[in-house]
Amino acid sequence: MITFEAVTKRYPDGTVAVDALDLEVPVGKTVVLVGPSGCGKTTSLRMVNRLVEPTEGRILLDGKDIREQNPAKLRRGIGYVIQQTGLFPHRTVEDNIATVPVLNGWRRQKARDRARELLTTVGLDPELARRYPYQLSGGQQQRVGVARALAADPPVLLMDEPFSAVDPVVRASLQDELITLQRELQKTILFVTHDIEEAIKVGDLVALFRPHGKIAQFDTPERLLGDPVDDYVAGFVGFDRGIRRLSFFTSQGLSLNTGPVQSADTTVATAQASGESWILVTDGGKPSGWVPADSLAGQPGSTPLSQLAAEPVGHTFTVGTDSLRAALDAAVLSPAGQAVGVDDDGQAVGVATFDQLRAAIQAAERAAEAAAAASSQPADATTDETDNSKKRDPGQPGVQPGVQSAPSGAQP
Amino acid sequence: MSWSWIPQNWSLIWQLTWENAKLGVLSAIYGLIISIPLGVIAARFRWFYPPTLAVVSIIYAVPSLALWIALIPAFGLTDTTVIIGLTAFSLCVILPNVVAGLRAVPAPVRQAATAMGYGPTRRLVTVELPLAAPVIIGGLRVGVVSSISLASLGQLIGVSSLSYLFIDGLQRSFPTEIIVGLVCVIVLAVVCDLVLVGVRRALTPWQPRRQVAIAQWTGMQRAALRRRPA
Repeated sequence: MITFEAVTKRYPDGTVAVDALDLEVPVGKTVVLVGPSGCGKTTSLRMVNRLVEPTEGRILLDGKDIREQNPAKLRRGIGYVIQQTGLFPHRTVEDNIATVPVLNGWRRQKARDRARELLTTVGLDPELARRYPYQLSGGQQQRVGVARALAADPPVLLMDEPFSAVDPVVRASLQDELITLQRELQKTILFVTHDIEEAIKVGDLVALFRPHGKIAQFDTPERLLGDPVDDYVAGFVGFDRGIRRLSFFTSQGLSLNTGPVQSADTTVATAQASGESWILVTDGGKPSGWVPADSLAGQPGSTPLSQLAAEPVGHTFTVGTDSLRAALDAAVLSPAGQAVGVDDDGQAVGVATFDQLRAAIQAAERAAEAAAAASSQPADATTDETDNSKKRDPGQPGVQPGVQSAPSGAQP
Repeated sequence: MSWSWIPQNWSLIWQLTWENAKLGVLSAIYGLIISIPLGVIAARFRWFYPPTLAVVSIIYAVPSLALWIALIPAFGLTDTTVIIGLTAFSLCVILPNVVAGLRAVPAPVRQAATAMGYGPTRRLVTVELPLAAPVIIGGLRVGVVSSISLASLGQLIGVSSLSYLFIDGLQRSFPTEIIVGLVCVIVLAVVCDLVLVGVRRALTPWQPRRQVAIAQWTGMQRAALRRRPA
C-alpha cells in the first residue's frame, strides 16, 4: 500500500507542483493519476521512489516512511516503467531485464534465466533475449521495460505514461495485457497518464488532477464518468461520457428477441409468418446476414432463406461478456438497427432493439445509483468502493459485480 | 629516391618509428586517463567546465616547442618532457569529447538507472561511461593522430623520434630520408587510428551502424575543430 499524507512539492521558485496531496493506493490495485500536463501527476509518482523529494508531508510504503530507507534499496523494491522506456542501449534485452536481480546480487546466469521467463510473461519471444534495444520495435521495447520492472518481483510498480509513445493499436494491446497481467500478479500499481480513456480502462481507481497538484475527484472510473463532481471533471472526462460509461454495464440484463433468428434452410413462407421486419439468417447457428421482410414478398414460399440476398451482419456482441456499449454499437452499425447477440462460441442467441437497449441501460443506471447510495459516505468512496469496484478484464469489458446483481427489469 | 638506403638503415627506421609511436600513444593514453575524471566532474558540476576548458585551451594555444622548452629546466631533454607536453595537448582534444559523451547519455536512461537502484558511482561506470565510449573514442582518435605527428618534433629537443630523419635528410640534402620519415609518420598514425576504430567496434555492438557513423562524425568534428596544426 502506498499512502500520501499531505504531500506538498514546492520548487525554489515558488511553483507548487503538488499541493497537500492525500492519496492511498490499496494493495493489489491500480490507481491512475490523470490530468493535464503540469498538474503534478508525474511529480507525485516520482516522489514514491524518491527521484523527487517532497517539501512537506510524508509518503508511506506499507506503513513505513520511505525516507527511513536507503534510496537505492528502496528503489530496487519498486518497479519503474517510463514512456521513453529508459532501456540501457548498451545491454541486451536479457541483461536489461536482469538489471535489478543482478543489483540484488543474483548470479548473472540465474538472472538471465529469470529474464527469459519474463519475456514470455510480457508476450515476447524468448528468442529476442540476445538482441539490443535498437533492434526492437517501440511496442517490444515497452514490453521489455515492463519485464525489467517486474524482474525482481517488486510488490509495487510505478508506471509513468508507459504506453504514450506507441501507436494506438499497440497501445490498446499493451493496455489489455497489463490488465490481464495485473489480474494474475496483483501488484500495487501507481499509473500516470494524460489520457482519460487509458485511465478509465486500466484503473481500479482514478485520481483526476487539477492544474497545480490538487485532486479534483478520486473515484472509480465508472463514477467518474457517471457522476463527475464538477464541470472541470465533466469537461476532462469528455462529452461522450454517457456512452463510454456504458462500458461498465454488462449486457447480461439485456432482453433478447429470438423471433427474427432463422436458420438458412427456413422457407420464405415460414419467415413471413414470423411477422418480423428483418430476418437474421443463421448458418450452422452463426449469424450470416440480415434479410429485410420487404424482399421476401414476391418470392416463392418454398424458397430457403439461404438463396436470398442478405446484408452483412456487421459486428456482434457476446451476451453477458460484452458491455452495453458494445451492444449499442452493434445496433447502431446493424442494417436492421438491431444488435446481434452471440454466445461464446459465436452462435446467435437473439437480437436486441434500441428499445430493449434503452430499457437495459435505464435498469443498469438505477442499479448503479442504488449502489452509490448504499456506500454511506460518497466522499470517502475511495476506500469503501475499492472492494466492490470492478476490474474489467479485456475479454470482459462489461462484467461488474455491482451491476450484475441488479434487477434486470428490462424484459418487455 | 635511393631505395637501397631503406634496407641499409632498417633498424634505425624501425627504432625511430617505435620511439615515435611510444611518445604519441603514451601521451594520448595519459591524456585520456586525466580527461575521464575531469570530464566526469565537468559533466556533473556545470560550473567546473568553463574554467577548466579555458585553462586547457590556453595550454593548447602554446606552441609545442615553446612548451617543451619551458619544461626543460624541470625535466631535461627527456621523453618525460615530450610526453608531458603532448599529454597536455591530447587532453585538450579528448576532454571536450568526454564531457560531450557523458552529456549525450539520454536523460531517461540515466533516470531509469537511478530508479532501478544504481548508486552514482556504479551508474557512472556501468551505464554512463559505456554509453559515452563512442564519442570519447572519437576524441581519442584525433588525440592519438595529432600526438604522433607532434611527437615527431621531439628530435628538436634531442628526444629520439622520426623527425631525426627530417633533420638529417635536410642537412645532408638527401630527400629519400625525408620521404621515408614522412611515410612512417603517416603510416603510424593511420595504423593507430584503425586500431581505435576496431576497439570502438568491439566495445559497441549495441549501436546501429548508421548511428555509429553519426556519433563518430560528430565526435570527430568536435575534436577536429580543436586540432592544432603540427
